[in-house]
This record gives sequence, structure tokens and C-alpha cells, in this order.
Amino acid sequence: MSSPAVTVVLLLVWGTLVALDLVSVPQMMIARPLVAGSVAGWIAGDFESGFRLAVVMELFALDVLPVGAARYPDYGPATVGAAVLVARHGSWEESLGLAVALALIVASLGGWTLGRLRHRIGRAVQDAAAGLDAGDDAVIRRLQLGSIALDASRGLLLTTVALALAWMTERWVVLDAGTAVLLTVVAVGCGIAALVGGALRSAGRGARLRWLVAGAAVGLLVVWLT
Amino acid sequence: MKGQAAALRRLVAVQGSWNYERMLGVGMGFSAAPLLNELRDRDPDRYHAAKVRSALFFNCHPYLAGLALGALARAEHDGAPPEQIVRLRAALCSPLGALGDQLFWAGLLPAALGAALAAIAFGASWFAVAAFLVLFNGVRLYVARWTLATGLASGMKVGAAISASQLKRLVAVAGPCAGLATGLAAPLVGEWLLGPFGPRAVLGTILLAMAGIAASRLAGPRYSAPRFTLIAMGGAVLLRWMLA
Repeated sequence: MSSPAVTVVLLLVWGTLVALDLVSVPQMMIARPLVAGSVAGWIAGDFESGFRLAVVMELFALDVLPVGAARYPDYGPATVGAAVLVARHGSWEESLGLAVALALIVASLGGWTLGRLRHRIGRAVQDAAAGLDAGDDAVIRRLQLGSIALDASRGLLLTTVALALAWMTERWVVLDAGTAVLLTVVAVGCGIAALVGGALRSAGRGARLRWLVAGAAVGLLVVWLT
Repeated sequence: MKGQAAALRRLVAVQGSWNYERMLGVGMGFSAAPLLNELRDRDPDRYHAAKVRSALFFNCHPYLAGLALGALARAEHDGAPPEQIVRLRAALCSPLGALGDQLFWAGLLPAALGAALAAIAFGASWFAVAAFLVLFNGVRLYVARWTLATGLASGMKVGAAISASQLKRLVAVAGPCAGLATGLAAPLVGEWLLGPFGPRAVLGTILLAMAGIAASRLAGPRYSAPRFTLIAMGGAVLLRWMLA
């Protein structure tokens, strides 16, 4: 859709926005892999392949309940890098499994960086305790905007790592078609396991479990009929 | 009260400085500033004390933070006793956290995403993604406006306002909707993704999915979907190499 340099810049900007959206601002759900991967695939020139990858990564993300101070993988920038890998390959059937593996590794790294960021902001809050205890407006503003800037830097770095790993994987990891397809099938199976496992955990034993079973029964019936 | 639009804008970034020390505290202080400005000329001492209180420890679901922000700002303007304001702030953390988590993270979000995934399996493509974003953010923006307005209107009586609202009823509906949508999406998306690979791949996927679900049930909190997937991929490559 544009020159390689422009594409890389667009992907870096998109990955940074996606990382910011997870916790800091504006939490409008562009950090969901379904959105992050679809747009990244489109930027990289193959929406359909990026979209397939985005759907699989969303299955993994639905396993996560981002409550309170819980630590969880940062799937957004990871999906951006993985979507580029799939989009550039040309055949999603043969590249999706490897891309999911890449995304899962980068997402785990992203989760770790999120924990480090929270500790770093905590230290900044400790250092600014005197200003906060005096109700200093400038201190509050500096902490808030500085923290968002730190998260943006984290997102940019994580997206850069994801894109670099995608580039290296494309260049140096060579799999025969059978193994590549096998990895794709494994990725889809594990994604569905993550989706159902997460749904069962959230459902508990109450009414929600009955609705989950009813939904699955309807879905299976539709698959069988079509 | 002046500053409501600015406070609403700042609430969008209320988690911008989330940390293990004060959690949402600094973000709440940043969002409260426009609402407290009127106090500066009227009662400078109260203003400074209110600014200090506004950035103390606080935690709740970010989408419901407006209820606490509005209620605490109203209480400051009404001259409520400081110890009561601090107690209200502490008392709002758990209920707003639990309600928001159940309504959004465990309810609306998986329901909307499950519906989007099911629609994708029927060929909706990018339209499903756009519809998900519009639907979710429409609800989120409506809730943000409602929470701030309700908090500002009720002040110290915000607990009664929450009890009288539709929030608990919506939570009761959102959970089953999420269960239905994710249950529906699982087989549909599986079929959509595995269509090109034939019945052997479908059978393998079903077995793998069952193994993953069993692992998540047996291992409990130690289970991690990324770890299980990477191990399964490693095993698959090894098996193929041995059989070659």
C-alpha cells in the first residue's frame, strides 16, 4: 500500500497506540488482538491473512480476565508483529502457527514490561510524595503525563522487538510445508482450548454455565448443518 | 459545577499512572483537578486539602471511576467532613471494582467479542470488528457520562444511587450473554479456521483443545495458555521430526 519505510513507521505508530490502549489511555479496545492484528495486516498489505491471525490471537486473549493488579500478557503489539509475519508470507495456512508462537513469546515479554512499568511509576510516586502530600497540581500532572509517556516508550520498544523478531523469523526460520501447517493446526486447537477454558473459569457452576453450554450446542448444530 | 467536560476527558486516562503504590490515585487526582478549581477562590484551605485527598490511594474499575470522582468532588464542594470523604473513598473501591469487572471484563467485553467472532465465521469480516468497536465504545462513553453525572448529583449518598441504578441488573444479564456468545463462537470459529485443512485436522484440534481444557482445569492458576501452546508446538515439531 506504501513504501516499506512508511509501512514500518505506520506499524510502529499503530503498535504504540495499541500498547497504550491496554491500560493507560484510552482503553477503547484497539489493544484487542482482533482489532490490532486486523489493522496491522491491512497496513502490511494483506488484510485477510492478518485478520485470520487476529482471530486466533483473540481466542488466547479471551482467556485473560484483566482484573485489579493481575499480571497478563500484552497481546496487542505482539499481534501487530505476528500479523506482519503472516501478511508477508503469502499463505496464512503455512505461516499462522509460527506467527502465533512469535506472538505468544512477545506477549509474555510485554506482560513482564508492564509489571516493570508499574514498579517504575510506583518509585516515581514515592519520590514525589512531598509534592503529592502538598496537593501540588504540577506534581500530579507531571506524574500522570510522564507515566503515559513511559508507557508509550514501552509500547514503541515492544512493537520494535515484535517487528524485528517477525523479520528475523521470516528470513531465517525455514519449515517444510507439512510442519508449518501442523503448527497452524496446533495454534488453532490451543486457541480454542484457551477460549473454552477461560469461559469455563468465568462461568463457574451457575446460570452462566448453562448459557455457555447452550451457546456451544447451537454453534455445533450450525456447524453440522452447514 | 464547572469543569465536567474536562474531567470526563481526563477520566479516559484515569489508569495512565497506575502503580502498586496508589493504584488509580494519581489518575483520580489528575481527573479531579478541573472539578475542584471553583473551590480555589471560594475556600483556598479547603481547596488544598481536597487536592491532597484527591490523589490518595484509590482503586476501582476504570469505567466506573466517574461515580467516585463525581461523588468525592461534590462532597468537597458541599463541605463534608474530611474524615467522611476519606472513608467514602475507601468504601467505594471494592464495590466499584467488583461491579465493573463483572459488567465489563467478564460480561460485555466477552459477549461483544464472542458475537463478533461468530459473525466473522458467517463472513462478516472487517464489519464485525467495526461493529464491535462502535458497540463497546458507545456503551462505554454512555456509562462514563452517566457515572460522572450520577456521582456529582449524589455526593455522599452515592452508595444509594448505585443501589438504585440498573448496574446490578445489567451484571445479571451480561454474564449469561457472555457465556452464550463465547459458547457459540468456539465451534463456529474453529470450523471457519480449520475448513481448509480437512477432517483429520479438525479431529486433532478437538483432541488438542480437550487436552488444553483438561490442563487448565487440573493445573488451576499455574496453567498458562501461552506456555501450553508453546509446549504443544514443540511436541508437534519433535513428533514430526521423529516420524520423518
